[in-house]
Amino acid sequence: MKYLVKKFVTLIMTLFLVSVLAFLAFQIIPGDVVTSILGTEATPEREEQLRQELGLDKPPVVRYFRWAGSVLKGDFGDSYRYSKNMNQMMPVAELIGDKLPVTLLLAALSMIFIAVIAIPLGVLWARSKNKVFDVMMNMGTQTAMAVPSFFLGVLVTYLFGILLKWFAPGGYISYKEDFWGCISYLVFPAISVAIPKIAMTARFLRNSMLTESGSDYVRTAYSKGASERRVAYFHVLRNAMMPVVTFLGMIIAEIVAGSIVVEQVFSLPGIGKLLISSISTRDFPVVEILILYITFVVIVVYFLVDVLYRVIDPRISNK
Amino acid sequence: MIKIKHLSVAFDGPEVVKDVSFEIGDGEILGVVGESGSGKSVTALTLMGLVAETARVTSGEIYYDDQLLLEAGVPRNTALYREYQGQKMSMVFQEPMTSLNPTMKVGAQVEEVLILHDRQGSSYETKKEAKTPEAKNGLAGWHQRRMEEKERRRARVLDALRGVGLRDVERVYDCYPHQLSGGMRQRVMIAMAVILHPGLIIADEPTTALDVTVQNQIIDLLKKINQEQKNSLLFITHDLNLARRLCDRILVMQDGCIVEEGITEEIFSDPRGDYTKKLISAVPGRTGKKKSAHQKLKEAQGKKGDGKKQELKPLVEVRDLSVSYRENANSLFGKTIKKTVVQNATFDLYEGEILGLVGESGCGKTTLSKAILGLNKMVEGSIVHHSNSPQMVFQDPYSSLNPSKTIGWLLQEPLRAQGILDPSKAMTEKDRVAAAYDMLHKVGLKDKYFTRRPSQLSGGQRQRISIGQALITRPGLVIADEPVSALDVTIQAQILDLIRSLQEELKTAFLFISHDINVIYQVSDRIMVMKDGKILEIGDTEEIFRNPKDPYTKELLR
Repeated sequence: MKYLVKKFVTLIMTLFLVSVLAFLAFQIIPGDVVTSILGTEATPEREEQLRQELGLDKPPVVRYFRWAGSVLKGDFGDSYRYSKNMNQMMPVAELIGDKLPVTLLLAALSMIFIAVIAIPLGVLWARSKNKVFDVMMNMGTQTAMAVPSFFLGVLVTYLFGILLKWFAPGGYISYKEDFWGCISYLVFPAISVAIPKIAMTARFLRNSMLTESGSDYVRTAYSKGASERRVAYFHVLRNAMMPVVTFLGMIIAEIVAGSIVVEQVFSLPGIGKLLISSISTRDFPVVEILILYITFVVIVVYFLVDVLYRVIDPRISNK
Repeated sequence: MIKIKHLSVAFDGPEVVKDVSFEIGDGEILGVVGESGSGKSVTALTLMGLVAETARVTSGEIYYDDQLLLEAGVPRNTALYREYQGQKMSMVFQEPMTSLNPTMKVGAQVEEVLILHDRQGSSYETKKEAKTPEAKNGLAGWHQRRMEEKERRRARVLDALRGVGLRDVERVYDCYPHQLSGGMRQRVMIAMAVILHPGLIIADEPTTALDVTVQNQIIDLLKKINQEQKNSLLFITHDLNLARRLCDRILVMQDGCIVEEGITEEIFSDPRGDYTKKLISAVPGRTGKKKSAHQKLKEAQGKKGDGKKQELKPLVEVRDLSVSYRENANSLFGKTIKKTVVQNATFDLYEGEILGLVGESGCGKTTLSKAILGLNKMVEGSIVHHSNSPQMVFQDPYSSLNPSKTIGWLLQEPLRAQGILDPSKAMTEKDRVAAAYDMLHKVGLKDKYFTRRPSQLSGGQRQRISIGQALITRPGLVIADEPVSALDVTIQAQILDLIRSLQEELKTAFLFISHDINVIYQVSDRIMVMKDGKILEIGDTEEIFRNPKDPYTKELLR
C-alpha cells in the first residue's frame, strides 16, 4: 500500500515536471504559431487579434497555470490547427481520443505477437544444441534487428498486400466502422512493429537463459534427476525472465507512445502520426497533451514492470 | 558399493582427472582431500553425472552396485542417470546461498525430488485405483486423489525438514531461500538429498561457506544421517581437520591424481607422500608453529632493545566506539531504523603488532575496520589515529584488482594517489617504477609480472599484489580483511608467512581479520574476539588459547 502511494506521488511529480518542460520547450524553440496559422502575408492587426484569441499575449507563467488548471479539470483545450466544423476548433481530448484506439490496438497486437513468438523462440534457441539452427537464428535475428522499420513496412506491404493480396495497402478501415476489419488490417503493421522486437527479445531471453543455466541452482535441479526440459521451463525460465521483463516494458512504452514510422508507412491515423504533424505545425495544445500522455504511459508501464518483478522474484518485495 | 575404475576426464585441454580408481563401501564415509584444481570436484560431478557437457570421459568406468553407470567413449545415458540422481545418489553443494532456486519456495524445491521420482509409482497407483468403483467420479475423483497425494508429499517434506534439525518447519516450507540463513539453507539442501534415502550422498565442501559454529552442526548432522540411514558418504573438502573429524577413509588428490589413500588416522599419523606431508603441515594448527610465531615477536622486540610490549606506543586508540547503520524503510516518509552493528568497542592497536580480530560473519568485524578507516558516518565514541594513511587488503583477490591495468600500474597507483593528496610526497615516474619493482620483489614475485594483468595471475599471486599495494606507501597500519579466506591451504600458509615476514621487515601494524581462529593464531600477536557487535575478549594470543574466558571463545576453539 505504502508502495503504491509512493509510486503515485512519483507519477504526479514527474507529470508536473514534464508538463513544465514541455511548456517551456515551446517558448524556446523558434517559430510562431500565429505566423504559422495566418501565413506571412497577414496584417499585424489580424495577428494581434489571433494572439489575444489564443491567449498568447499573456506572460508564459500565467499561461502555464491557466493551461495546467484546465488540464486538471479535464479540459485539454482546443487544437490550433484542426477544426471540428466551420466555426469551432477541434478539442484536443476529442482529437486524441479519436486516434488513441488505433495506436493502442496496434500496440496490443504487436505485444501479443512478441510475447507469443519471442518467448518460446528464445527458450527453444537456448535449449537447442543444433549448430545449424543456432547459426540461422543468429543471422535471422541480426537481420531482423538491423532492417529499418520503414523498409520492413514496405516489405510487409509488398509481400502480404501486393503479392499475396491478404490486405489492401493503404485501405485502412476505421475501428468505428468495422472493428474486425480494422484488426485484420492492423495485423500487418503490427507484424512490421513486432519483427525487430521479436528478434531482440528472443536474443535477450536466450542469452539470459544461457547465463542462468550456469547457476548453481540449475546444477542442484539436475542433481535431483530433473530432465533438461523440466529444468529449462521450471527453473531457468522464471529466473531468466527478470531482465527480459524490463526489456519488454521498454518495448511496450515505446510502442504505446506511437510507432511513428510504421503509422506513416501504413497510413494509420494514430498517435505517432498526430505527434509529427502537430509538432511541425506548432499545435501546442495537442503536442503538450501528447507529451503528457507518453510520460504517463511510460511511468505506468514501468510501474507494472516493477509489480511484475515482485511477482517473479520474491527477493525484491522483502528489501 | 561404488566402483570407479581408471577414470580420466578432460575438458578442452589436458586431463583434469587422471586414472582415478577407488571404491566406496556400504555406509562408509570417504573423504576426498585436495586443493582447488586437484580434480576432486570434477570426479564427484562425473560420478553424479553432472559434469559439464564439454567434459569428456577419456578412460575408465563407474559402477553403482554392479550397474554400469558410465563408460569411456559412450555418451552419458541421461535417462538412466535421471533415475539414479536424487533417488539412489544425491549431492549437497558448497554454496547454500546460490544452490537453491531463488524464485521457488524451499518446500516446493524439496518436494520436487518426490515429484520427479514418485511419478512412475503414483501414476501406476492411480491406474489401479481407477478400476475400483469409488474412484470413478471422473474429474472430481481425480482432483481429490491429486490433493491427497499433494498432502502426503507435503507431510513427507515436513518430516524431512524436521529430520535435518530445522525448527518451525511449517514456516520454513513456505519460505523463499533468501529468507533463510546459510546454515538453514544447507539443512534444506541436505533434506533434499536425504528425503529418498539414497545409498550414496556426495557432499562437495558443504561447510566451506558457513561459519565455524554452524559448520560443526552440519558436520554432526551428516554424521548422524550416516549412522541412521546407513548411506555411504563421499565427503569432499580442502580442510584436512574436517576430513579427520568425519571420515573413515581418506583419499588425497593432487593435479587430478590420487596421491595417497588410507584409513584417516593412519594418514594423519604417518603420511607417506610428500604432498600429503606438505598439506598436513600447511594446515594452520594450534600446535607446532605455536612457538615460532610467538618467539619471533619476542626476538623482534628484543632487537629493538626496549623489550616489553607495554612500552610500545598505541597507534590507534579506540574508545567506546559504536557504529550503526540507518536501515531505511525504503520510503520518502518511512521511519528509519537505527541498527547498531558495533557496540562500545574499546581497544588499542600498538605499533608494529598484528592484532587478530576473529568472529563469525555478521559480527561486525568489517564494520569495525571500516570505522577505523573512516568509511562509516554514523559513529559514536572516539578513534585516535597516530598513523598516517592506513591501507586495506581485501578478501577476494579475483575482484579487488582492476582487470584492465597491468600489475606495475596497480602497484604504482597508491603512490600516485598519495602524490595528488600530498604534493610533498609526489614522486617522479622513475622513482615510482623503481618502488613498484622493489615491492614486487618484496612480495616474492619476479620482474616479468610487472607488465602482466591480474587475469594472468593465480589467486595467491594476486593476493601478493594486493598486499604490495597496501604496503607500498609504507603506511603505519594495514587492515587485512580475510586476506587468505579465498585461498588454498598451501597458498594460505605462504601468504601468512609473507605477511609475517613483511611485517617484521617494515614494522607495519596489522589489524588482521579472519573467521578462522587457526589462521588468527598463526599470524597474530594479540587476539580480539567479537560476537554480535561486541568485543568479548582481548589479550595475548597464547593467553587466549591457553585460557579462554568467554564461553563463545571456547566454542570457537573446540
